[in-house]
Amino acid sequence: MYDTPTLERTVDSNTVKFSARDVHVFYGETEAIKGVDIDILDNTVTAFIGPSGCGKSTFLRCLNRMNDTIDICRVTGKILLDGADIYDKHIDPVQLRAKVGMVFQKPNPFPKSIYDNVAYGPRIHGLARTKADLDVIVEKSLRRAALWTEAKDRLNEPGTGLSGGQQQRLCIARAVATAPEVLLMDEPCSALDPIATAQVEELIDELRQEYSVVIVTHSMQQAARVSQKTAFFHLGDLVEFGETGQIFTNPRDPRTESYITGRIG
Amino acid sequence: MTDQQHIVSSFDRDLETIQAQIMKMGGMVERAIADAARSLESRDEELADEVRGRDKAIDALEEQINAEAARVLALRSPTASDLRLVLSVIKISASLERIGDYAKNIAKRTSVLSTMAPVNGSPAALRRMAREVEEMLKDVLDAYIQRDAELAYEVINRDQDVDQMYNAIFREFLTFMMEDPRNITPCMHLHFIAKNTERMGDLVTSIAEQVVYLVLGHMPDEPRPKGDKTSSDPSIAPA
Repeated sequence: MYDTPTLERTVDSNTVKFSARDVHVFYGETEAIKGVDIDILDNTVTAFIGPSGCGKSTFLRCLNRMNDTIDICRVTGKILLDGADIYDKHIDPVQLRAKVGMVFQKPNPFPKSIYDNVAYGPRIHGLARTKADLDVIVEKSLRRAALWTEAKDRLNEPGTGLSGGQQQRLCIARAVATAPEVLLMDEPCSALDPIATAQVEELIDELRQEYSVVIVTHSMQQAARVSQKTAFFHLGDLVEFGETGQIFTNPRDPRTESYITGRIG
Repeated sequence: MTDQQHIVSSFDRDLETIQAQIMKMGGMVERAIADAARSLESRDEELADEVRGRDKAIDALEEQINAEAARVLALRSPTASDLRLVLSVIKISASLERIGDYAKNIAKRTSVLSTMAPVNGSPAALRRMAREVEEMLKDVLDAYIQRDAELAYEVINRDQDVDQMYNAIFREFLTFMMEDPRNITPCMHLHFIAKNTERMGDLVTSIAEQVVYLVLGHMPDEPRPKGDKTSSDPSIAPA
């Protein structure tokens, strides 16, 4: 009877994109992630929620090896992308990051034109042979980020001249230009107004058709709105991971309950 | 469920306010059931009129509770047990309002019945039935405020007793009416009173189900026991 709720945005994929097993992350002596097991599905938006310092961003950054850039950071355990260990020494982190794109909290367009912001990734990864190919990729990416109609007449203007919400969508266009398979978003809307936030959320839902999206957010309402699966992190542990509707109506763990209902815990 | 306070203490105050209103409404409805049954037994028209008059206050309180609940939903976006609390408040107030209506209807029929010759023995049986429903309501409100799913389950099971009392009364009235056609008018009224009381029991049961949902996060698994056979037993309900 409870198996087929109609309102629930169903997870229509069973394909595991990322599979993490017993992942620990240390910053020097401090253990930031204490053994996380999680399967992230393809064509699904997975939200990571939890209080500041709970490890959600740290774990997100493990997924495209952004933590490699921090000297004192050490990652143990296994993270498989489509069954291949991303921490294998034969894996090139740059290639990995082309497959696993990332959007950050603050819009950070390059100090270049709108066109070049999007074209940069495809150029360095050699995804376009001719200028015409590149034009196609740029248009497609900007369309996918719902920025094309606003930007098509000013492609040569600097990306930094756009509004905050447009800049963030430009960063999303830039991230999708390299044809990634996974999109990681670390608080993509925290610097945006409600309209721009709604546009990015609509975009996230569209992106789900083609990618696996993982989003870190401090806004629980945003997690509830955009995701199909929610993971709650607390003090470096993955406390609870489940269908978003279940997490927000009937969480199993009292720590999840305390956090999402805004109680001291 | 959790006993912890919200970080935003005004949220706690909002939730406490609507719960206090439910308890107040519950108290008013309990009194309406008791007074309606008492007015029937003692043929007290004045008390019956009073029950009818007080129903307006119950209706007004339901409206107020719904408005407060809508505000909490809009302003606080409650989740998890907070969300279930607000949802259950809306459904419980609707059930209480319906019970109040049935009590009012009983009082209305009491006024009519007091002008007729009494039918032997029936008011006492009806009063026993009403007392059982009133007790169930009292217990379910306790279960609600104490977040006691076990007590709620117990109330759900007790509805069978009410249904059986109704079956017995139904057969009795049928006999009276067959014996003497002059009994038909009062017995029809008395039967509606019995049926109303039986429906109150069902509504108390649905409140108990809301308590289970509030505490455990899911509706009761077991199908609720049904004791009312009058609609399916051909020997007492000819087609």
